[in-house]
Amino acid sequence: MSRSLKTSAACASALGILLACGGERPPAAAASAAAFVAVGAWARAADSGATTAAYLTVRNGTAVADTIVGVASDAAASTDLHESMESHGMMHMASLAAVPVAAGDSVVFAPMGKHVMLTGTTRGLAAGDTIALTLRFSSGRTLEVRAGVRQP
Amino acid sequence: MRAPRSNAARALRAVAPLLAFALACAERPWHGILLDPPSAAPPLAVARGDGSRFTLASARGAVTVVYFGYTFCPDVCPTMMADWTRARRALGADTARVRFVFVSVDPGRDSPAIAQGYARQYDAAFEGYATTDAELALILRDWGIAAYPEGDPRTPNYTVAHPAHAYVVDAAGRLRLMIPPGVRGEQIAEDLRRLR
Repeated sequence: MSRSLKTSAACASALGILLACGGERPPAAAASAAAFVAVGAWARAADSGATTAAYLTVRNGTAVADTIVGVASDAAASTDLHESMESHGMMHMASLAAVPVAAGDSVVFAPMGKHVMLTGTTRGLAAGDTIALTLRFSSGRTLEVRAGVRQP
Repeated sequence: MRAPRSNAARALRAVAPLLAFALACAERPWHGILLDPPSAAPPLAVARGDGSRFTLASARGAVTVVYFGYTFCPDVCPTMMADWTRARRALGADTARVRFVFVSVDPGRDSPAIAQGYARQYDAAFEGYATTDAELALILRDWGIAAYPEGDPRTPNYTVAHPAHAYVVDAAGRLRLMIPPGVRGEQIAEDLRRLR
């Protein structure tokens, strides 16, 4: 097996894992759904009952724009889309009602910016744990995401 | 036959090591914002859970890093605290002369025990203090900073606007440096190592 073939095979299986993790619904939209994925999802370790955050990148590989309008998780009493911002030396947070993801574009949720705010964690989240997130889109699409827990 | 050296070349040779030394020492940029000239740090006093008091004046002799945040802060505060964790690790032998102090600006939800537990989850040596309304009012006035709930503070999920920067007080009790959010832990350590 040539090196390039091996590489291709590795890439293909990596892609397969990626798509499997994406857990798209509904299956009827599989053709376009296959290109709508969440990657690099992680959540910050926290005690039970605490407030913490999860981060991920949402990639829209389809030709149609969509908008994230909500998020849910089994790991917290309430789960919201939030954004941190600095203004005049102060840190503020704002709730995000809608996060558009243009066709062929990505939206990054990362520390000090957009994040999934998990309020009232239903259990202690330790490094190595995994939590489930469900992103809801304006089109009706949902995206199931597994986020690994990391110690800060 | 050796070419005669000019006076200029001879002079340059003489000062070259000095020049190199000066260049190496001077103008190494700070990662934080240097407060120059420094001024005496404002007072900071809070009651601990056991009834004793923490005062910034009592930390004299150590370089003290202070951050005003809140434990329900999901994103910004944990990011700063995680950078402190890396900073403390990177300090190595200098660790002993630096204190890291987290001060809650959320009297409504953070008790002394919660604030202490919050700080210690990042590093057992970190100090976390809650404030009462009265203590917080004094701190905000003396430091010239602001902190206030955003959203309805009667609901459990309100957020708190708070200063973006961490403050560094040197061993002589002077306010020397502000650390903006986004400065990496290793960079914080580099700055702290330069302070006495």
